[in-house]
Amino acid sequence: MSDEKKSCSDSPANEPVVTRSSAPMWIIVVTLLIIFVAGYYFDQHSGWFNPKIYHPYATAEQLDTYQPKSGEAAALARGKQVYEAVCGICHGTDGMGKPGQAPQLAGSDVVNAKGFNRLAHVPLLGLTGPIQVAGKEWNLSMAAMGAALPDDDLAAVLTYIRTSWGNKQSAVTGDDIKKIRAGLKSNQPMTHEQLMQIPE
Amino acid sequence: MKTGTGIFWAAFAAIGLSWCGLVLTPQLQLGGAKLEPVLNSADTYPLQPTGAATLGLQVYRANGCAACHTEQVRQGGVACEISLTGLGIYKPADFTAYMKSLFGLKDLADLTNSITGNLKDWNGELPKTLLTCTDKALADDMSSRLKAVGVKSETHIVATGLDIARGWGDRQSVAADYLYDQPVQLGSLRAGPDLANIGVRMPDANWQMLHLYAPKSVAQNSTMPPFRFLFEVRKIGSTPSPDALNLPAGFAPAAGYEVVPKPEAKELVAYLLGLKANAPLYEAPFTPATAVKK
Repeated sequence: MSDEKKSCSDSPANEPVVTRSSAPMWIIVVTLLIIFVAGYYFDQHSGWFNPKIYHPYATAEQLDTYQPKSGEAAALARGKQVYEAVCGICHGTDGMGKPGQAPQLAGSDVVNAKGFNRLAHVPLLGLTGPIQVAGKEWNLSMAAMGAALPDDDLAAVLTYIRTSWGNKQSAVTGDDIKKIRAGLKSNQPMTHEQLMQIPE
Repeated sequence: MKTGTGIFWAAFAAIGLSWCGLVLTPQLQLGGAKLEPVLNSADTYPLQPTGAATLGLQVYRANGCAACHTEQVRQGGVACEISLTGLGIYKPADFTAYMKSLFGLKDLADLTNSITGNLKDWNGELPKTLLTCTDKALADDMSSRLKAVGVKSETHIVATGLDIARGWGDRQSVAADYLYDQPVQLGSLRAGPDLANIGVRMPDANWQMLHLYAPKSVAQNSTMPPFRFLFEVRKIGSTPSPDALNLPAGFAPAAGYEVVPKPEAKELVAYLLGLKANAPLYEAPFTPATAVKK
């Protein structure tokens, strides 16, 4: 015991104490570099926590470019969507019309014309006054319901009308509607006579 | 304990940050998930499961199906496929020659292999897949070139990856697929195939019943254990049950007996048939096969 007491290591002056020393510079530099690279990777690949973005897509812009657009089936589906939102309320989702609101589109002469020029004028300008549809007399007025629709949507809706409920006519494209829209001479609702003067 | 306060705050920060990352962030990301519109259609996704299917999820859970089956399809990438639908003024041979004349162009060099491969031995039948490439800009460039010379084409978006190639789905699984599942049965081990899309792949309720009662009766090399306790083997009464399974020889019970599914089996099958993760969504776009004219 006495020997130990005398030893140097036991003296209070030699107790180990905690001291602070600065971290080596290279660790700070490497850590900052890792943070920078990780941040860059996150920015490029994460979609910034957007719940709609999954691998293999990295950004919302990239995901937008891959949305399927082409195809007649896609246009028809879009046409059905727009028809049910805009036209179907009066003309019926089955195209059979509603008494006192709007005549039927299934089997209508204007719808089933060879060309779509005359039909396209109806939603673009509106229609008013007496008209015969499928042997019944109607005397109502329709506003220019399609004037505010984009070309592609109006084309899709006309295509849907011309190919549904037993109607079997050709499809309409957005470019066709653009041309017809550019050729409009007035913005007033047509009467039946005026409508019939428009070429098919 | 001079450092007690410091330890407290350090522990608080560690637990608090984990809570933010594991609970708060996912809640902010997906907590408000709602029904989603299906692309190019007026429908919404997913459909509300039937009552039997909702109960079936609990049967699925109770029998540990998720121990061997996952419900998550992974997607490796996405590709654009240009399909010819009309050649305009061209005859097939002329068109092939025209495509060859384009290969000199620098920006189309990457497409050369895909196009020559696809047009080889082509008898002029339409629609015809012209090329498959991963770069949407390149595909758009090509389709506008085709449009300029009067050739009609459609661009289809196709999901790619191992799971897709196995036929387990048309696209990857996304959060919307699990909107009505409580609890979600993601699974992590694939001793059996993925079931995210089983209702589309195997829509036959009778097949599902046979498969649950005796997996080897419909899939010879199946390693799935039979779930016979979901069925009742009983003596045929005055008339056979309309629900009785039509089992092949070797699996059928003794003469005069029939195998009838218990309610659990019916619920489980209703749940399996309801697993249809096949709607194209904004976050997982693809061109559905119904829109592709074959």
